[in-house]
Amino acid sequence: MLSRRDLFKVAGVGAATLLVAPGFVGQSFAAKKSLDDALKEKLGITQKDLQASELIKVKAPTIAESGANVPVEVSAKIPAQQVEALYIFIDKNPNPYVAQVDISPANGEVYFATRVKMGKTSPVRAVIKMKDGSYLSAFKEVKVTVGGCG
Amino acid sequence: MHMTRRDFLELALVTGAFLTANPVQALAKMSYEDIMRFKPVGNVTLLFTTDLHAHLEPLYFAEPMNLVAPKKLMGKPGYITGKEFLKYYKIAPGTLEAYFTSCLDFPKLAHKFGKMGGAAHITTIIKNVIAERGRDKVLVMDGGDTWVTSAIGTFTDGKSVVDWMTLTGFDLMVAHWDFTFGKDIFMQRIEDLKRGGCEFITQNVVDELFGDLIFKPYSIREVGGAKLGIIGNSFPYTPIANPKQFVEGWSFGVREDQMQQFVDELRQKHKVDAVILLSHDGLPLDMALAEKVKGIDVIISGHTHDVTPTAVKVGKTLIVIAGSHGKFVGRLDLDVQKGKIRDFKFKLYPVASNLIPADKEAQKLVERYKKEVTKKYKLDEVIGEAEVMLYKRDTFFSTWDWLVGEAISDYYGGLDIVTSPGYRWGTTVLPGQKITRDHVYDYTAITYPLVYVMKRTGEQLLTVWEDVADNVFNPDPFYQQGGDMSRMWNVEYSIEVNGPQYNRIRDVKIGGKPLKKDKEYMMAVYGGPPPPPDMVHPDYKPVPVYDILIDYIKKKGKIKVRTEPNVKVLDAPYKAYGQCYGG
Repeated sequence: MLSRRDLFKVAGVGAATLLVAPGFVGQSFAAKKSLDDALKEKLGITQKDLQASELIKVKAPTIAESGANVPVEVSAKIPAQQVEALYIFIDKNPNPYVAQVDISPANGEVYFATRVKMGKTSPVRAVIKMKDGSYLSAFKEVKVTVGGCG
Repeated sequence: MHMTRRDFLELALVTGAFLTANPVQALAKMSYEDIMRFKPVGNVTLLFTTDLHAHLEPLYFAEPMNLVAPKKLMGKPGYITGKEFLKYYKIAPGTLEAYFTSCLDFPKLAHKFGKMGGAAHITTIIKNVIAERGRDKVLVMDGGDTWVTSAIGTFTDGKSVVDWMTLTGFDLMVAHWDFTFGKDIFMQRIEDLKRGGCEFITQNVVDELFGDLIFKPYSIREVGGAKLGIIGNSFPYTPIANPKQFVEGWSFGVREDQMQQFVDELRQKHKVDAVILLSHDGLPLDMALAEKVKGIDVIISGHTHDVTPTAVKVGKTLIVIAGSHGKFVGRLDLDVQKGKIRDFKFKLYPVASNLIPADKEAQKLVERYKKEVTKKYKLDEVIGEAEVMLYKRDTFFSTWDWLVGEAISDYYGGLDIVTSPGYRWGTTVLPGQKITRDHVYDYTAITYPLVYVMKRTGEQLLTVWEDVADNVFNPDPFYQQGGDMSRMWNVEYSIEVNGPQYNRIRDVKIGGKPLKKDKEYMMAVYGGPPPPPDMVHPDYKPVPVYDILIDYIKKKGKIKVRTEPNVKVLDAPYKAYGQCYGG
């Protein structure tokens, strides 16, 4: 589990405005939402509106050492002034929405690093809302495993 | 000679070899000189061993019958066995080379050629090559899984093996199981190595919170006038595959982005002539890695115990791996000139312990440690006799693991399931061979040997097994862990290896009855991360698995276990015992 203090410590890495999903800390796995539910709720779009982009890089382990604490790093080769915000979603989490980072030209570059909690194997997805109204996206599959036991 | 007098006489009579001084030499039509023959190339010689698993003494170790692969990886190095292996590498059946590289007719050939490996014999090969080439032209490396998982390794905290490495002249090393001594002992052994002139290098272990490197990531060496940059990668999934407590606070992973940075740093800043990766990633992962990380000239791989009689080429990268259990010493000669590899030559020396003389000093060292450990653990005590071949390596099933299931079930009573981990290490006990305590430790001497009994629902069991199956059969090696499937005693099931993730296993029967998702089953496990104390059944005391096995084998005397697998593979070929090891 990520403690509240740890969360803020790592959130400080991305020098940007961070809005954390309510209930992410100690997130309850009760109410299940699909990725489309979360996209609709946050951005008013669905997966069909996402344009796959090779300009975005999602860095995360292929196999997580602990699902409770998965390091994720997003960077994009897109000028910061063209970007409105960066979002992180974990497709298969009970609540896929993780974070919103508003980007301003003062950020210099599109970069954000944090740690996320994952319930099970899932794509870790970055969505970038462009100023022109389009949505770019990239993901990396992260496996959550019980490992060598059993 | 590692043969009994009776073996020798039988052999001599059958073959007429009694006229020669060394019957194995006559049978193999090969001498020490033949094995060592190698026409050097260029200015650099890389010598390497990997996955010794602390087998300082010669042993039998059969290559697997099966390396069942997802479709995408079928037929690639790392997934070829038996007859197909011999065909792929053009090796004649029945030869010494076939005995070392394929399961085919293993018991028969074992009687012919005798034991394999042994630290003192490896030392002879390494010293011989160094003498021939000159120390300044040779770099000696080890790929890890070296200090632990045999009595002589585990019960000396790895000291026996480290002393042998120092005596032999190793230069560089990476690790995996070696970490399971825990940080304190591990760091002490690294210090011992360093004092002996061997450097531990690893780029993919960092501080969990801050990402700082724990070890030196690479080493730059002048070899034969060329400047070599050698990067180390230890096993990326150590905290998942083994208990996390041993490496608490350290984060692993492949860290391919960081590796790329080090490759670039070596080339641009340090102007090295060649970049070499010494890895414990496993062959399939290293083959996939070579496509991602640009600029690695050579990967010396380890972990998956594969044997590559010829180098695998992925793009511009050469990948080689020297098997396991001390069966091979790899040699890669390189002609490195002005930042380019112009030529290379590769060979795996089979460590045929009846043909390669033992190094006297190394032999003495091994004997001293053996004596020390034997005092407490009575390693040579005969506890039974094998009536079928006892082996562990296979994708799904092995006679050894079935025996473990029987023994644990007999000890505790009332169990529905015993699971045994899919490690690829152990030994082989031939049909008719006496079983000693040492054999049991060869299969089970880990630093966390306790067996735990717990209740699990059918659904929980399936979830874990599907999870392990994905670690074995994921078509992308970056999502595998490089082991085999867990073995389940008293369970029968079918599997579609190319089935959807987490939905490969079918028709599970426990004790002959279909698995019920909501039913609670009594299961015993060992060799994984220890379960939380409240999960362990309070009426069943955890006991080391080797103690249970030794008592059981003693009680039974003659050991005959089933040879037909309990698993049906629906969508890939799966060989059975008779096809490799004879009726």
